[in-house]
Amino acid sequence: MPRSRSLKLVLGVGIAVWGASVAVAQVPNPNPQADSTAFYRALDLEGAGKFKEAAVLFRQALHSSTSVSALLGLERAYAELHWTDSLVAPLDSLIRKNPREQVYRAVQLRTFQTLGREAQTQEAFEQWVRDVPRDPAPYREYARLLLQRGLAQRADSVLARARIQLGGSGDLQLEIAQARAAMGQWEESAKAWRLALAASPYLEQAAAYALAPAPNEIRDAIRAQFFAQPILVPARRALATLEAAWGSPANGWLALRDLPPDSSSVAAWLDFAQRAEAEERWTHAREALANALRWRPNADLSLRAAVAALNSGDPGGALILAPLTSGGVDSARIARTLLPLHVRALAALGRPATAERLVASYDRWLTPNNRAILARSIAFGWVRIGDMTRARGALTVAGPDADSSDAAGWLALYAGDIRTARKLLRAGVDASPELALALSLISRVREDSSLALGQAFLTLARADTGRAAMAMVEASEGLPEVASLLLYTAGQLRASIKDDAQASALWKRVVEQYASSAEAPAAELEWSRALRRGGNGVEASHRLEHLILTYPQSALVPQARRDLELLRNSIPETQ
Amino acid sequence: MKPSRSRVVLAAASALLLCAPSIHAQQLLVPMDDAQQNHLKAYGLTYNALKAGMKAEWLLNYRGGAFLLPDTPELRRRAGLDGITLEGVDAGQVAAIRTEIANSNMDAIPLEKAPKIAVYTPPDAPPWDDAVTLALKYAGIEYAPIYDEEVQRGDLSKYDWLHLHHEDFTGQLNKFHLGYRDAPWFVDLVQKNATSARKLGFANIPALKKAVAENIRLFVERGGFVFAMCGATETLELAIAGFNVDIAGAFADGTPMDDNADQRMNWKRSFAFQGAHLEQSPFVNSMSDIDGHQVNVPGRRQPLGAFTLFNFSAKFDPVAAMLVQDHRSVISDFYGVTTSFTKTTLKPGDVVLAFEEGAPWVKYVHGDYGKGTWTYYGGHDPEDPQHAIGNPPTDLSLHKDSPGYRLILNNVLFPAAKKKPLKT
Repeated sequence: MPRSRSLKLVLGVGIAVWGASVAVAQVPNPNPQADSTAFYRALDLEGAGKFKEAAVLFRQALHSSTSVSALLGLERAYAELHWTDSLVAPLDSLIRKNPREQVYRAVQLRTFQTLGREAQTQEAFEQWVRDVPRDPAPYREYARLLLQRGLAQRADSVLARARIQLGGSGDLQLEIAQARAAMGQWEESAKAWRLALAASPYLEQAAAYALAPAPNEIRDAIRAQFFAQPILVPARRALATLEAAWGSPANGWLALRDLPPDSSSVAAWLDFAQRAEAEERWTHAREALANALRWRPNADLSLRAAVAALNSGDPGGALILAPLTSGGVDSARIARTLLPLHVRALAALGRPATAERLVASYDRWLTPNNRAILARSIAFGWVRIGDMTRARGALTVAGPDADSSDAAGWLALYAGDIRTARKLLRAGVDASPELALALSLISRVREDSSLALGQAFLTLARADTGRAAMAMVEASEGLPEVASLLLYTAGQLRASIKDDAQASALWKRVVEQYASSAEAPAAELEWSRALRRGGNGVEASHRLEHLILTYPQSALVPQARRDLELLRNSIPETQ
Repeated sequence: MKPSRSRVVLAAASALLLCAPSIHAQQLLVPMDDAQQNHLKAYGLTYNALKAGMKAEWLLNYRGGAFLLPDTPELRRRAGLDGITLEGVDAGQVAAIRTEIANSNMDAIPLEKAPKIAVYTPPDAPPWDDAVTLALKYAGIEYAPIYDEEVQRGDLSKYDWLHLHHEDFTGQLNKFHLGYRDAPWFVDLVQKNATSARKLGFANIPALKKAVAENIRLFVERGGFVFAMCGATETLELAIAGFNVDIAGAFADGTPMDDNADQRMNWKRSFAFQGAHLEQSPFVNSMSDIDGHQVNVPGRRQPLGAFTLFNFSAKFDPVAAMLVQDHRSVISDFYGVTTSFTKTTLKPGDVVLAFEEGAPWVKYVHGDYGKGTWTYYGGHDPEDPQHAIGNPPTDLSLHKDSPGYRLILNNVLFPAAKKKPLKT
C-alpha cells in the first residue's frame, strides 16, 4: 500500500538522521565531567518519557565514569523504543575494552535473549566462560535467564556444568534452588535454598515464595530440610514464613521455638510475635515473647509477654512473666502499666480480694479514671466467684462514675435487672461480641427484669459454656420475644465446645418453631454447616435450598449459595 | 418490636415477587443483559429445561441474548436457588417482544433438544483444569469425560458436541519437556500417554494423538460439533494436516521432524487453517505461526489487548449470531498455549467471530466442515489472563457474569437450535 510504504520511508529517514547524530556522539569525549552531566540529563529525560533523547545522552555517557549505569539506562531506553538491536554494537566495544565487567556481559546475554537470538546468546555465554574460567558469574547470569524463560531443565544443565568447572556450586545455590523448584523437585530445591540462605540470609522471603506452591504431600520433606541439624536461623525463619503461606502459622512457631538463643534468633522470635499479636494468635505470641524475654530481659517485652499470656487464657502465666518487680522502683509507672495487668489476671484467677489489696497499695498513684477501670476488673473477679454483692461493692468504691459504667450495666444484667442494664450497656464503649449479643437481647425483651436471662449471662461470664447454653434454653421458655435468639445463641455455644448434635437440635428448633424470626436463616445456615461437618451432605443441601427459597431477601443467601456450590462440587474448594 | 405475622408474610411474599415472576405469567423470560444476576447459571437453567423435555427459545440480540422458557415451578425453584433473574411474561408481553424482534436485528431461535456433551480430557484431570469443564460444572450442565481409549473405540458417535481439553494433538505434550522434564506431574503425564499409546497399538504418543485427531475430524465431517480452546485448536489442525508427515521432534517420537514438513502438510484436510509454518526447533516452545501471541517464546511474545465481538445479522447469520450473544462486545484478552489465530493462516471460508482492532490476529473463529461445524476460541481461561501451571483454579462463583465464559456456553447451547433454512 502506498501509504504504509511512505510511512516506512519517513521512519527510515528519521532513524538514519538519528543514527548520524549517535555516530557523532560515539567519539570519546575528553571531558568525563561533561559525560557524567550527560548521564544525569539522560536520567531526567528518561523520567519524562523522552526515551529517544535520553538514549542519545546515555550513549554519549557510555565512555565516561558512569559507563555501567549509562549502559543500563541505554538498555531501558532502547527497550521502550523497541530498538534493543541497536545495543549489540556498543556492547561489543564496551566488552572489548573491559572484558571483566560483569554488567556488560549480563546485558549482552539479556539483549540477545530479548532479540530471540538463541545461538548468539549461547555463544556470548561461552565466550564469557572462556574469558573468566574460574568465575561463577557467567553460569549464574545465564542460568537466571533460562529460568526466567521457563527453561528450568537447561538452566539445571548449565549449573551442573558450573559445578564441574568450578569444583563446587557454593555461589550458585540460589539459582540451583530456583531451577529445582521450577522443575517440581521440591525437596532438592529446599536443600539448595538452605545452602543459599546460609550465605545470604536476606533470601528468606525469596525462599518462602519459591517453595510456597509445593504440593501438600511433599511439604514434610521440605520441612525436614529446613529442620536439619545444625540449626540454621535464616532457614528456620524462611520455614516459618512458608508455613504462614501454607495456611499453618501454628507450624511456623515449631520452626522457631528451638532456635539457639542469640541475637538473630531473638529478632526472629520478635518478628513472629509481632505477626501473632496482630493476628491475635495469643498463645504463639506468648511463647515467642517469653523466649525472647529469656535472652533479652526488659520491662517492655515482659509486659507484652504477660498481656499475650492473659489474652491466651493464662492469667497465672501473666503474673509470672511480668512480676511487679520487673517495673523497677518507679511506683507511678508500675501503677500505670503493671497494675492493671495484675488486677485483670487476679480477677480472672478468681482472686479479687488480692486484687483489691494490690490496688489499695498503689492508690495514691492512681487517677480517678484508672481507679474506675480497676474497679471494673475487680468487680468481674467477684462475679467470677459468684459474689454479686462484693462485685457491686467494688464498683461503688470506685465512685459514681464506675457505678454508671457499662460494668455496672453488666452487673445489672447478671442480676436480671434488664431495665438498668439496657440503660447502662447502651452507653458502653467497650465493643465486644458479648456486648452486641446482650444489647440485641435486652433491646427485644419487653419485661424490665428476668432472672433467668441474668443467670444465663452470669454463667457465660464464669466461662461455663455448657451450662450457659442450658441456661439460655431455660430463659427462652419465659421470654418468647427473644426465644429464637436465645436458642440460636445456645446452639452457637454448643458448637463452640464441639457438640454439633446438641447445636443442630437447637438450630432445628429455631427453624421449625420460629420460622419467621430474624434468626431462622442464620440458624439454618449453621445447621447445614454442622450437617456438612458431620458428613451428611444431602441433608445439608436440603437445608441450604430451604434457606435460599424461604428467605430470598436474607443477607445470608450469598453465603448459602456458595456453600451449596461447594456441596455440589461445582466450584473448587478455596485453598 | 416484634414484627407481626402478617407483616412477615407480606415481606416474604414481596420478596418472592422481586426475584420471581408474576404468578399469572405464562412464560419465563431469562434476561441476559445487565439485569441478569447470574449469566452463567442461566445457560444451565435453559440446558436442563431442554433436557427435561421442555421447549425453549433463544432471543438473539434481544436483551443480551435472552431465553424464553415455559413457566414451571421446577424452573422457578432452580432459578431461585441459583440466583438467576427471571421475568414473568404473559401472552401480551410475549407478543410485544416478538413484534420488537421482527422489526429489529433480532430473531427467536427455537431450542429443541439438549445436546449430548463429551469433553476430551484425561480421566484423572480435575474439572478446574479447563475453562469449559469449569463452566459446565458451574452451570450444572452434565458432560461425559472421554479420552483416547473411548475415541479410538468409536464412542464419539454417541455425542452431539465435543470439547477438546487443552491437548497437544501433535503428541509433543506442549513441549513442556523444555521446562518440566523432571517435574513429577510431567513424568506422570508422559508415562500415562505412552502406556495408552502402547495399549492401543501405537508406536509412540504422536502416532496415537494423530489417530485421535483423525477420529475427531471424521466426527465433525459426519455432523458433530467440535469446540476447542487453547493449544487444542492449533495442534488439532497440525495433526490433521500433518497426518502423513512427521511433525514431532525427536524427543517425542525418536526421530526429528521432517525437514520438508511445511511443504508436505495437507491443509485441505484441516478445518480452519492453511499455509502455516511449523516451528522446527524442539527448543522453542511454539508449534507454528498459527498462534499470534506466542506466549511461551520470550522474544516473540505479544502483549494482551482486548477483542471485539462481531455484530452479526440474527436473521441472516443465526449460527454466528448465537455464538457471539453477550452482554459485552469488547472483552479483555487472555493468554493460552495458543492465544489467537494469525489472519494470514485462516482459510477463506472461516467466519471470524471476534477480532482485535488493528492486530494481525483474531480470537474466535467458526466454520463448517462436512456436515458438522467447528469453533475455536483462543486462550486458556477468560478470567485468568496470565494463567500459569500451578496457579489456583478459577472460582466461577466470583465471575458469574463473565462475558468471556459466556462465549463458551453459547457453544454448548447452539447445537440445540432447531435447524432453520437460511435466508441467504
